[in-house]
Amino acid sequence: MGSFILRRLWQGLLVVLGVTLTVFVVTRVFGDPVSLMLPLTATAEQRAAFAHEIGLDRPLLVQFLGFMRDLVALDFGNSLWQRRPAIEVVFERLPNTLLLIVAGLGFAILASIPLGIIAALRPGGIVDRLTVSLGLIGLSMPQFWVGLLFIVIFAVQLKLLPTSGMGTPAHLILPALTLGLTPLARLTLLVRSSMIDELNQQYIKAARAKGLGLSRILGVHALRNVLISFLTLTGWELISILAGYTVVVETVFAWPGLGLTAMQAIQRGDLFLMQAIVFSIAFLIVLINIALDIAFKMIDPRINLN
Amino acid sequence: MNDTFRRVLAAAVFSAGSLTAGAVLAQSITIAIGSEPSTLDPQLRDDGGERQVNDNIYETLLARTPTGELVPSLAAEMPKQIDDLTWEFTLREGVTFHNGEPFNADAVVYSVKRVVAPENASEQMAYLGTIAGAEKVDDYKVRITTSGPDPILPSRMYWMKIVPPKHAEEADLAAQPVGTGPYKFVSWNRGSDITLEANADHRDGAPDVEQVTYRFVTEPGTRLSGLMAGEFDVIVNLPPEFTATVPKFAAVRGIETSTIILSTDNEATRDPRVRQALNIAIDRKAIADNLFLGYAEVAKGQLIHPNAFGFNKSIEAYPYDPDRARQLLAEAGAEGSTIELLGESGRWLKDREVIEAVAGYWTEIGLKVDVQIEEFSRYLDRLFDMKVRPDAYFVLNSNELFDADREMSFAYEAGAGGASNSEKELAETIRAARTETDLEERSTLYDKLTAKLHEEAFDVPLFNHQDIYGMSARMEWQPRVDGKLIVKEMSVAE
Repeated sequence: MGSFILRRLWQGLLVVLGVTLTVFVVTRVFGDPVSLMLPLTATAEQRAAFAHEIGLDRPLLVQFLGFMRDLVALDFGNSLWQRRPAIEVVFERLPNTLLLIVAGLGFAILASIPLGIIAALRPGGIVDRLTVSLGLIGLSMPQFWVGLLFIVIFAVQLKLLPTSGMGTPAHLILPALTLGLTPLARLTLLVRSSMIDELNQQYIKAARAKGLGLSRILGVHALRNVLISFLTLTGWELISILAGYTVVVETVFAWPGLGLTAMQAIQRGDLFLMQAIVFSIAFLIVLINIALDIAFKMIDPRINLN
Repeated sequence: MNDTFRRVLAAAVFSAGSLTAGAVLAQSITIAIGSEPSTLDPQLRDDGGERQVNDNIYETLLARTPTGELVPSLAAEMPKQIDDLTWEFTLREGVTFHNGEPFNADAVVYSVKRVVAPENASEQMAYLGTIAGAEKVDDYKVRITTSGPDPILPSRMYWMKIVPPKHAEEADLAAQPVGTGPYKFVSWNRGSDITLEANADHRDGAPDVEQVTYRFVTEPGTRLSGLMAGEFDVIVNLPPEFTATVPKFAAVRGIETSTIILSTDNEATRDPRVRQALNIAIDRKAIADNLFLGYAEVAKGQLIHPNAFGFNKSIEAYPYDPDRARQLLAEAGAEGSTIELLGESGRWLKDREVIEAVAGYWTEIGLKVDVQIEEFSRYLDRLFDMKVRPDAYFVLNSNELFDADREMSFAYEAGAGGASNSEKELAETIRAARTETDLEERSTLYDKLTAKLHEEAFDVPLFNHQDIYGMSARMEWQPRVDGKLIVKEMSVAE
């Protein structure tokens, strides 16, 4: 187990480096950060002076060596846009994004299991049809639109919740719901179909014949077999949310998270901040993957990690 | 029974009364701006969000009235020009910074030197680039020097905020702004809000609004929702469609002008007749009415902003005359030729829609239009590429300094900014006007320049855009022509 984790960490480090370097090259080769930063009307001399001050006029290789040296100390340089250490911006915004994800995805996980099981108990029944239909609707609605719809209904019309921003728990409800809706739909449909398969297995029939209670059959035996695919999908949802899907929700709800910050960094050509964000997200994703592998092993000891 | 009823009623009236009284006492408002200030250091960044907050905390030597006239602020009077390169400012006495530091010549000299210091790589050099330095004459007299003759130095001083030297050295100016302005910094809850409170000691007396909170909301739809839900009192950049929805709104001509710069060297647009045809082929009024619902004015035949020095009053807007446009194309033998039109999308209000509408009008007079909408940084690369010029490109120019040199140096000075011509004489005249210190002579130069640019149609001036603000029913405010959010000019009606 220990050597497995070490090896995965090493591989993960390579992945993180690869991603970071790609960003390093792409931001410098395509598009000119200086012309994005300065007003349109800045003169060529002003642009050149600015490029010199932030070191962009040096050869790419020299910049790269400097970048690698600083990377060892986790020093990504100062964000050009915010004029303070880029990593400080990341550490300030990342917790907000994580809070949003935990709330949104947590809600999806907690709600999808009972919903999926109830639907699976009577396939084709009214509850099942309702779940499937609502699930499909949930999957096909764009988050952007759902977010604005929620704001109009719950904040503007009913005045129950604040429209945007962060602060009280009430601020968290609408963005978390919006973020959790798609994963909820996908996870519920998955639990439902896997559960239907599972309930038709011989061992379930045997267990019922032995007189085991329904809740024990569902909760202990069937659910454990559903859990592997459930966890795989959850991991995938988590990673795709982290890698970009929060941007939309954070923008609509003015949620001060890392997604919104990344978006603004791109618009402003802030390559130092972009590098720091990409590095941190890539690092998190690698960690999540390792954690998932370990979780799989714990659920199903037959899985061979090597 | 009757008695109890009376007592309840009295209590109700009393509490209602105290509620209103409370509201009168604490006049606090919330303003939703489009982006969070990147820093609250007023001298480093060219950042609209930062200005929207700091314009209320800091002051400048000269300021503008809401209608755009330059007036003394921290200076006691308008500056005197000593020689071509030197301006003398007499300072107002008895002003102190919020932390008690005195405002004097030392503060001005420090502020000037700080913003021009190369190691600070201030983006504001785009506005202040001509400034060489500053020296103290006495405690309340400062001389500011420029690297070349600079007739618009006074306008530039409206863009240079004065910081307290001691505080700037010892504390973190980026997080703890201290100015001389009508509002004092209270708190910055990163990512969420910034709060300022009225400075009761300000020389103009305490402003009406006692406390102002800024919220940062990128998405226009969310700003609108917040206004409708009663969370915000003022929101910026209200889309024109929603002027009918909001409780109150105000529109004013802002500092932005849109245009399409034509290349005078490219094959397709070399003939002035073609360029004139491109101008009169467009029904600008229809676009302004339909796309902007009237919240844009047809440009007066020039890119120069109507409030700017150097605006040519005698030039009329290009008429809409597609028949004449076809005729001009025929004379030039350019019927059916292809014109590339470069643009971007999403940076400016309805940019793509305007570009597509223009392309439609050009197609109607018998041209083929190759519309190329690029991602913004790619668009900038092409805009600044002096070797290969697009036949035509759409751009929105903002004139912060209210001076024609802004447009001239960006759009027409060959080899600089985004100019698409190679006329040396034109560039020389532009440079001459930039450094001409005799204002009358300078005005004449600009009249000549604008007349030539109009006659030979170096570009297709489109609209002077308006800024639209959404407001809650209780707000009283007339927005300014320079687009600044000056809270001391706002008040709350009860």
